[in-house]
Amino acid sequence: MSCGCNHEASDLSLLADVLDHYRGIDGSLIAILQQAQDIYGYLPTDVIYHIAEETGVAPAKVMGVATFYTQFRLKPVGKYLIMLCQGTACHVNGSELIAASIKDELGIVDGETTDDGLFSLKHVACLGCCSLSPVMMINGETYGSLTPDKTKTILRELAAKAGDNA
Amino acid sequence: MKIVVGEGSCGLAAGAGKVHAKLDELLAASNPTGSVVTITSCIGMCFLEPIVDLYDGDQLVRRLVHVTSSDAETIVAAVNSGDLSLLDPITITPEDASFLEKQTRIALRNCGIINPMSIDEYIARGGYSALEKILKSGMTQDDVIEEIDKSGLKGRGGAGFSTAFKWRAAKNSAGDEKYLICNADEGDPGAFMDRAVIEGDPHNLIEGMLIGAYAIGAQEAIVYVRAEYPLAIVRLENAIKDATERGYLGSNILGSSFSCKMRIKAGAGAFVCGEETALIESLEGKRGMPRLKPPFPAQSGFWFKPSNINNVETYANVAWIIANGGEKFAAMGTPDSKGTKVFALTGKIKRGGLVEIPMGKTLREVIYDIGGGIRNDKEFKAVQLGGPSGGCIPASLLDTIIDYKALGATGAIMGSGGMVVMDETTCMVGMARFFLDFTAKESCGKCVHCRIGTKRMLEILGRIVEGKGEEGDIEKLEELCMAVKDGALCGLGQTAPNPVLTTIRYFRDEMEAHINEKRCPAGECVSLITYSIDKDKCIGCSACARKCPANAITGEIKSPYTIDPEKCIKCGNCKTVCKQDAIIVR
Amino acid sequence: MSIKYTIDGVEVEALEGETILASATRAGVEIPTLCFAENTAIYGACGVCVVEVEGVPKLLRSCSAIPAEGYVVHTDTPRVIRARKTAFELLLSDHTGDCRGPCKLNCPAGTDCQKYVNEIKDGKYFDAVSTIYEAFPLPASIGRVCPHPCEDACRRQLVEEPISIAFLKAFAADKVLASDNKYVISVGADTGKRVAIIGGGPAGLTAAYKLREYGHAVTIFDQQPKMGGMLRYGIPEYRLPKAVLDQEIEIISNAGVVMKNNVKLGRDIAFDELVRTYDAVLIAIGAWTSVPMRVPGEDLPGVVGGIDFLGKLGMGETPVIGKRVAICGGGNTAMDACRTAVRLGAEEVYVVYRRTRNEMPAADIEIEEAEEEGVIFKFLTNPIEIYGDGKVEGMTLQVMELGEPDASGRRSPVPVEGKTEDIKLDNVIMAIGQVANCEGISGVELTKKGTILCDEMTFRTNIENVFAAGDVTNKGAGIAIAAIGEASKAVFCINNYLEGAEVRYKAPYYVQDEKTEADFEDREKQPRAGMPGMSPEERKNNFKPIYYGFSEEVARKEASRCLECGCHDYYDCRLIKYANWFDVDPSRFPGEVHKRDFIDIANVIEHNPNKCVLCGLCYRTCEQVAKKTFIGLYNRGFNTIINPMFPKAEAASYCATCGLCVDACPTGAMKKSF
Repeated sequence: MSCGCNHEASDLSLLADVLDHYRGIDGSLIAILQQAQDIYGYLPTDVIYHIAEETGVAPAKVMGVATFYTQFRLKPVGKYLIMLCQGTACHVNGSELIAASIKDELGIVDGETTDDGLFSLKHVACLGCCSLSPVMMINGETYGSLTPDKTKTILRELAAKAGDNA
Repeated sequence: MKIVVGEGSCGLAAGAGKVHAKLDELLAASNPTGSVVTITSCIGMCFLEPIVDLYDGDQLVRRLVHVTSSDAETIVAAVNSGDLSLLDPITITPEDASFLEKQTRIALRNCGIINPMSIDEYIARGGYSALEKILKSGMTQDDVIEEIDKSGLKGRGGAGFSTAFKWRAAKNSAGDEKYLICNADEGDPGAFMDRAVIEGDPHNLIEGMLIGAYAIGAQEAIVYVRAEYPLAIVRLENAIKDATERGYLGSNILGSSFSCKMRIKAGAGAFVCGEETALIESLEGKRGMPRLKPPFPAQSGFWFKPSNINNVETYANVAWIIANGGEKFAAMGTPDSKGTKVFALTGKIKRGGLVEIPMGKTLREVIYDIGGGIRNDKEFKAVQLGGPSGGCIPASLLDTIIDYKALGATGAIMGSGGMVVMDETTCMVGMARFFLDFTAKESCGKCVHCRIGTKRMLEILGRIVEGKGEEGDIEKLEELCMAVKDGALCGLGQTAPNPVLTTIRYFRDEMEAHINEKRCPAGECVSLITYSIDKDKCIGCSACARKCPANAITGEIKSPYTIDPEKCIKCGNCKTVCKQDAIIVR
Repeated sequence: MSIKYTIDGVEVEALEGETILASATRAGVEIPTLCFAENTAIYGACGVCVVEVEGVPKLLRSCSAIPAEGYVVHTDTPRVIRARKTAFELLLSDHTGDCRGPCKLNCPAGTDCQKYVNEIKDGKYFDAVSTIYEAFPLPASIGRVCPHPCEDACRRQLVEEPISIAFLKAFAADKVLASDNKYVISVGADTGKRVAIIGGGPAGLTAAYKLREYGHAVTIFDQQPKMGGMLRYGIPEYRLPKAVLDQEIEIISNAGVVMKNNVKLGRDIAFDELVRTYDAVLIAIGAWTSVPMRVPGEDLPGVVGGIDFLGKLGMGETPVIGKRVAICGGGNTAMDACRTAVRLGAEEVYVVYRRTRNEMPAADIEIEEAEEEGVIFKFLTNPIEIYGDGKVEGMTLQVMELGEPDASGRRSPVPVEGKTEDIKLDNVIMAIGQVANCEGISGVELTKKGTILCDEMTFRTNIENVFAAGDVTNKGAGIAIAAIGEASKAVFCINNYLEGAEVRYKAPYYVQDEKTEADFEDREKQPRAGMPGMSPEERKNNFKPIYYGFSEEVARKEASRCLECGCHDYYDCRLIKYANWFDVDPSRFPGEVHKRDFIDIANVIEHNPNKCVLCGLCYRTCEQVAKKTFIGLYNRGFNTIINPMFPKAEAASYCATCGLCVDACPTGAMKKSF
């Protein structure tokens, strides 16, 4: 797979401290990738190469790890990342209806980002707030006991907030 | 007065943080009695969150539930004035309070009581005394393992393997470099026991792990925490720092020759990493693909050194066992299963939350006595145990006792403790499909049976819920299930067929209704249901028509409305909004 | 310290630390595996090496399980078979490609066309002929006369036109026949078993050849003066020079086949006696009797059967015919007869056929060439009477039109009421079909058609040691290559019968893909090579071969048009081997099937993810043996895929271009492109 992407080159110096911190510690790849994602918002290809070079882990391995774990993203996400819980309790209490209402409101399904780059939707494993099911988490904030209407209201409020800030 | 806000993840999600902030703000303005606001973690009564406890010294005087930030003013007013009767409307009812009273808490003994950020509060409740006992009384490694053996403790992560056996194997493996690992990659959808322990009582986990590390001869302990638990990581990091500062962790612990350091490794989102060999691969920074056993981790684990892996709840029992003696632990439970077990009780249950009970209680006791029965007084249909590795147990088996063997005999498993209750409106075929969807997505892709087998099972179940099932599908599923059980490499794949097999075993008629009659008896499978309006019940209020996103509902005010089945998208909005229960789903 | 245990009842001694797989393999018990290789670490992905050990609740992966003293291991329990078979079925349910090319699959004799076409491309003519001999022993003859179902299936027609496969076969065979290095059949060690074959046509000769390969003694009895059957007595010299046929028969004869001609059943030898004195008998007498037309006047002098007419030429006689000749029928025999009539000097030659040209069963090229030679086609006409005073003088034809399609899908002709035509004739040749004549074959059950009733999968008749193949069986006359195909399957059954094994033939399982023109849009168009030959004028008054054959240059260029549809790794593919071993039926598990682009690995290796079984051997070999880590696993679960991760420019520094990954691949998912 060649790097056919045309994104701008990432500022690799941002990663220097992280790489120094883990230098010489075997098995740190996942931690480095996690922190790289915190820095860049996702894992750009040039960052992956850079990590491979600095850690001595073959690029194919780094990419293998980056594509194995659901936490890692190879593409940028929207301003608001909606993490919709797929736990059993949420399922039993209607998380599919919530997914449908998100699709209805934003036109996106799991793994997609709205055209305006505002919202991304990601289905996630149980968030552990089962008593509040169905639950979604948006940028660290948990929203529970959702209904389709409540979901739409939340999304509209966030969109309006983003509009005000713009 | 000590005001304690319950700030576990779910409490915070329910708004506990806002309540806390408001309390701080109000008390900053006026605090004549010198009240303090502090935190504890999840007490396990999730159905009442946010919860605020009022303590007079060590004495709990009031437990306030469903507290909102506007209630904060009442709380401060009551505390400042001393007139606690102001709080009656938000005080827990005796009925709800019985949720806790009927439990026996060992693993959760400090949860919801102490401030998890305070090592002193842990020590004040007897914390680290078990470790001290070992190191100062000269208990040998074998003595410790013997005590655990006496307790009969089995792994609480699901498989139920003897803890003492594993420790002994790791201890007896050759080599000086050994590792003790805690599996906190709690991935079962619907289970949050481990999170509650780490968030609520991190030192209990640390102490249990230290005892284990001493027993097997490990110098390093690692906690593998799933990435979705950021708060747990924060609290555990803090606890490790405090414990290290106090000399419970590090070199020459409590002046002994025993040294052990501890660190946290955050997972990155892969359920399969709950499988011990996949977890080891992940710890080594690799793709979390299981290794073939043998060799077992006790012989060749992390970096191919002898390693012991237990889950959080298992370690959470260890300090108590050493402090109180194995016999006391073994006195609880059944001949096969000793001690207590923590469950995360969720689903269509009135009182959902964390339940720790002695082994041997029946499912009925947990669901009805503690959980209060089914929400909205609907009919109990099934309880799911063990998540994607377990199965659904029907009403006829509600008197099954909680015991590894007894639960295993139903086709489900004890599991890590997820207990999801379902009522008559839950489609059991849809449930099986849900779990297969989960396993198929979480399959690491290494072995054929799991990678393609779960995918094909999911596709068959998908066809069935869409009304495209065919005669022979059940038999095909059964055969595929048996082959996958036999052929899959790790526990994830080997147990993935369980939800399907139990559904076939207990809810075959429901599955057949989908296949043969193209009907979903629970009225849940969208492809198989139609919505209509009961003319006799509809009062013509138009609420449904206004909520219908497809404009499928028409009619005249004050006369019955109708649904156009061609336009209906089966979203269920009308049913939710109708106060007359006039929407018929068939 | 070694450990003793049993596997399927076989006592095995395992060395210290040796796995069940390794020790069982050493003891000769085969255990399938896709992901194990001795030079890489145990991986355990494929799960097909599972075995059941008495007293052990779980199945064990034998690639990693170390046996304990006294283990009783089974590899053939229903549980083991279910787990293994399901694994193969699951793998194959998401495995796209073509094990074999459509050409081979459509050849009734299963000839590996792709292989010999490519051997011709490479100039390896002897290899090409050897490849054809794997299927049957008459390449030069069949290459000239076969209506080539292979070409009908050839995918090259999705680009422009099919490969000229049949003529390429004749080309290679001619080359070898003309060389000093002639093909020699390798004869199996003598089994002591004797087989009698009745009929020395394409089926009988093929059977004789294959039986000799097994080492059985073979005698062919044929009522004609020479061997070859319809190839000699039904096909005119201008299409198949008999000198060519003679050479190929000689090769068969040299393999020790006893050939007895001029022997007629019932007259010279009793069928019962053959049944009694031989271990097995194969009836391959063909279908030699022309079907009568059942019209008034068909017994008039001057009316002859097409087979009898052509047969005379085969005997070296020259039949006397008049100036005006009509041939009734639209098949290949009709074409051979009309073109022969032209060559014998007839001035007006008609082909009377009741449907239109579109429905004619004869090969297009034959019709075209007959037209070029002046044959007059009277379509949509049906003889209703042959008339004449003491000899044929003419024929009345009913004019027809096409009605509704019949069961075979062909539109059936219906008479146009009251409309007839009349043609003046000296001869009428009946070529509307041939039937078998089973006179002298006593005690064998026949069908209503008068053919021999035999099981289609065992080729057995109602008599235990009597088999039948070719035109004489069930549905009757067909093309030569079909008779050859039946004969070779019949030999498989006969051999099994002689060895006391299960007799039934089973069609092998193959993975097959479906392609459309869109799949080949990027291919450069290269027209099919035309076959050079005589002009109609040059050829119509003699029996000289009408084609000159391909030049070497043309043949190799034509062969290079092959799209190589069949998997390059077929012969080494463990998946297909096991699939047949376990009698898989992947259609049990329909579902999503990946359709992914091929992946280029460092410009030297082509990876086809649609054939990948994710055994991991490629990337593990790269890492553990080649000490590179150029390729790895991406994604997870059902979407896991093998991928390299480099812009091409950097590849050289990571890929050793050693090809070890390709060698390690148990299927055809990796291919060297250098």
